[in-house]
Amino acid sequence: MAVFLKMSIGITFIRPFAKVLVPFTLTKKRRVLYSMILQRYMSSKIPAVTSPKKESTSPEQLELDGWKITMKSSVQEGVPTVSSTKDEDPVAATRELIEMWRLLGREVPEHISEEELKTIMECASKSSKKKYLKYLYVKEKMKKARQIKKEMKAAAREKAKKDQLLETSKEDKQQDFLFLRLWDRNMDIAMGWKGAQAMQFGQPLVFDMAYDNYMKPRELQSAVSQLLESEGWNRRNVDPFHIHFCNLKIDSPFHRELVKRYGEKWDKLLLTATEKSHIDLFPKDSIIYLTADSPNVMTTFKHDKIYIVGSFVDKNMQPGTSLAKAKRLNLATECLPLDKYLQWDIGTKNLTLDQMMRILLCLKNTGSWEEALKFVPNRKHSGYLEVSQHSRESVNRMKKSKTINSFPKGSVYAPRKRDLKENI
Amino acid sequence: MTFCFTGIRNFPKLWKNNPYLVVGPGHFYNSLFLKDYNGIRNQQKLFSLKTASPQNTKAMNLLTAKTRYRRKEDEGSNKVSSDFPHLFAAGAAKKRSQMNPQSKDHALPPERNVIQLPTKPLNSEQWDKLKEDFKGKANFENWVITQMAHHNSSIDVAKSLLAWVAAKNNGIVSYNLLVKYLYLCVFHKQTSEVFDVYEIMKARYKSLESGGSTLLIRGLIHSDRWREALLLLEDIKKVMTPSKKNYNDCIQGALLHQDVNIAWNLYQELLGHDLIPMMETLKAFFDFGKDIKDDQYSNKLIDILLYLRNNQLYPGESFAHSIKTWFESVPGEQWKGQFTTVQKSGQCLGCGKTIESIHLSLEEYEFLKRKILRDVIDGGDQYKKTTPQELKRFQNFVKHSPPFDIVIDGLNVAKMFPKARESQVLLDVVSQLAKQNLRVLVLGRKHMLIPCARWRKDEMEKVQKQASCFFADNISEDDPFLLYATLHSGNHCRFITKDLLRDHKACLPDAKTQRLFFKWQQGHQLAIINRFPGSKITFQHILCYDTVVQTTGDSWHIPYDEDLVERYSYEVPTKWLCLHRKT
Repeated sequence: MAVFLKMSIGITFIRPFAKVLVPFTLTKKRRVLYSMILQRYMSSKIPAVTSPKKESTSPEQLELDGWKITMKSSVQEGVPTVSSTKDEDPVAATRELIEMWRLLGREVPEHISEEELKTIMECASKSSKKKYLKYLYVKEKMKKARQIKKEMKAAAREKAKKDQLLETSKEDKQQDFLFLRLWDRNMDIAMGWKGAQAMQFGQPLVFDMAYDNYMKPRELQSAVSQLLESEGWNRRNVDPFHIHFCNLKIDSPFHRELVKRYGEKWDKLLLTATEKSHIDLFPKDSIIYLTADSPNVMTTFKHDKIYIVGSFVDKNMQPGTSLAKAKRLNLATECLPLDKYLQWDIGTKNLTLDQMMRILLCLKNTGSWEEALKFVPNRKHSGYLEVSQHSRESVNRMKKSKTINSFPKGSVYAPRKRDLKENI
Repeated sequence: MTFCFTGIRNFPKLWKNNPYLVVGPGHFYNSLFLKDYNGIRNQQKLFSLKTASPQNTKAMNLLTAKTRYRRKEDEGSNKVSSDFPHLFAAGAAKKRSQMNPQSKDHALPPERNVIQLPTKPLNSEQWDKLKEDFKGKANFENWVITQMAHHNSSIDVAKSLLAWVAAKNNGIVSYNLLVKYLYLCVFHKQTSEVFDVYEIMKARYKSLESGGSTLLIRGLIHSDRWREALLLLEDIKKVMTPSKKNYNDCIQGALLHQDVNIAWNLYQELLGHDLIPMMETLKAFFDFGKDIKDDQYSNKLIDILLYLRNNQLYPGESFAHSIKTWFESVPGEQWKGQFTTVQKSGQCLGCGKTIESIHLSLEEYEFLKRKILRDVIDGGDQYKKTTPQELKRFQNFVKHSPPFDIVIDGLNVAKMFPKARESQVLLDVVSQLAKQNLRVLVLGRKHMLIPCARWRKDEMEKVQKQASCFFADNISEDDPFLLYATLHSGNHCRFITKDLLRDHKACLPDAKTQRLFFKWQQGHQLAIINRFPGSKITFQHILCYDTVVQTTGDSWHIPYDEDLVERYSYEVPTKWLCLHRKT
């Protein structure tokens, strides 16, 4: 008995460290034990069990309950000490709970780190716990899938290499090349030159970073991902913008996340990151704040204006935040003419930062809305609206005459219409 | 009980299939007035068509009785007044949505072609064969037991499945199979099986997850080992707060075994976790109270009623019956209960007493006013809904004008009839109110002043002559101003809009303020119910009484939800339980 106790303590002690090892050994042992017990039970107790199929009516009951005995019999070699340890430690209890959920087929991760466990414990409600667990589960699953893919690719590459070796040994032909294979580096350098040029002469495009208090950590992370992507799109363009990160406070969550993601590259980026606000850098009347809540619709891309995009991912339904910002500073606002060109179906009119960037780049280079709005995700609309050249011109003329004394009609009425629909 | 349930679930579906709904928009207005009768008659027709299955008879009887009852009542009320349900009356939103001709029938999902579930215990060969027949993505055992749990198969079949699995797996049955099996045992009230599974789970697993414990608790409370359910509850508490269902089960178990103290302690704990108890829990206390003649216990039941009052909760129909029975069983007090409705004047039809007024008390009123200004209009960022300049302009405007009688949401009223001109409709409404010598304030946006086809200049000038006007910026919200202007003018002031103002209610920080707002809204919101432009404007009557659990010491009035009426969260019940003491 004493030996037994010692062993189980030892196991519980090692448990967190050797998660992979323990189940292996234990289940094997257990399995042997079960079958032994089963055999003993079968042979000793009731002879009827051994021949259940001969009597077709009565032994059913006996057969049906047989499994319970073996299941219960694990009490002896089970885990008598754990019940006391779990009383003291809520962390271990949570871990147990997650393990049980996994057995039940719930969406929880297989492995969980101490830090993540702490985050779970800090979650205020049951549903937020479940949400976070599901997030971890999906993350783990994707990681595993990627791992498998990587291994498969490696195997394929290995095989291809072998085949190639066989082939090359056959034909050993000398070839003449003009360039060494340094395409990636050359491209990087070329983009660097273009970027430097944009820093000097490019049209400014501002990302307003003053939204970090409106976002939760997850939203902030996706905002930074989108920023990274839009910077990448800009870099590859023929005529890049000169990107400004305005209101980026040093050591704010935004700054920390950006530095973390860019690493050493952060200081070598060809863009302007500043703690100053955009109104300090540029004349107020040339600034246009882009926001989907704006009543004014953007008609053309102006090359002498400074467009501002709020780097704000809003999953929390706070409408009008960026419009309020623009109102406070008394800036002009505009929104993309999505309704004019697209048959909108679902989804918010708020686009991601990289989509915004691609649309603006396209407008800057071609000036065609049809071309630019190709970057709006297809799932959100069901196609382009047919606007003939003539009617569009007349609409534009009307709009021009109206904007002198009022806002365009559609945008003002929009909220009212919604209200009415709701109430009737 | 389950039959009853399926019957109820079918009900909305029948309602949706109602051929009356397919009326085109042209017939829309005419059919509206015949609505109640038509709707109900068609319902009955449908029911009689569908009563073929014997299962539903119980539910059917209930339904027909109900419809008869409702019809009688509708006839009665029609003699008195209009047949529009009040804006906030239970079921009104449902009716409004049915008036909407575009409602579509939901297509049923296509049924998957699957194997037949066994009805008798199978032996292992049969299970093997069944598994071969099964072609699906999921794990066979898992799938089968899930289907069994879904169709409530007998536990012997499930047991034979587990035996087969165990035989294949060296005597090991996986946890999820065990839990599903446990579900079946609990469902069929097989207590001894529950014990067995409990023993197995205790032996095999160090701790249980919440789903398993919930089932075990539910299974154990009916047995002598109900105290172990409390231990399981303690286990859940270590990791997360138990659900209200867990508490409900434990309390029911305690009451079942006459342990009143434990039940009350659990109830206190439940309230301590900020959970809203299930109505079943509260009902259980009342049901149990019939056999107890104890002042302390009665006081606690009265506390429950006050809890309902404070949180604006309404008992269900069966709970109302329990309350009535309990009151009538109190010895020496001779309570008499009846189910009634309340007249528009605020008098209970049963006893003639006046129901509490809807008006807020003075400090509640001031509190609400402050909250509206701070949370709805300002909301931490004045630029979101308006601008500071505009807010100042508005506050000055309100301060320097005498109190108004009626505040109109100009845009909402003007857009009431899509075919009529906006300014015309607004002028109609304003002039009719001005004729009654009411001081009117019209709130709108600046674009209304710009002459165009829909907003004629001369009509807007007439409006401005007959009423005070305040025009907000085009990108500001006007509803918050409406609320504040009304609140500022005082208790007699009403406002006209059809908007239910739910988004503004949502801006308020806590449930208590929201309830206060809702109460004020019920008492002060006028909604126009005209269906034709040009006709004389009539308003929906305002409730003058508050729909809430209330007492005067020797009488209780308790509104309750009918089982077959769907009530939305912004509606209040129309039926009451009236209790008074015989003297």
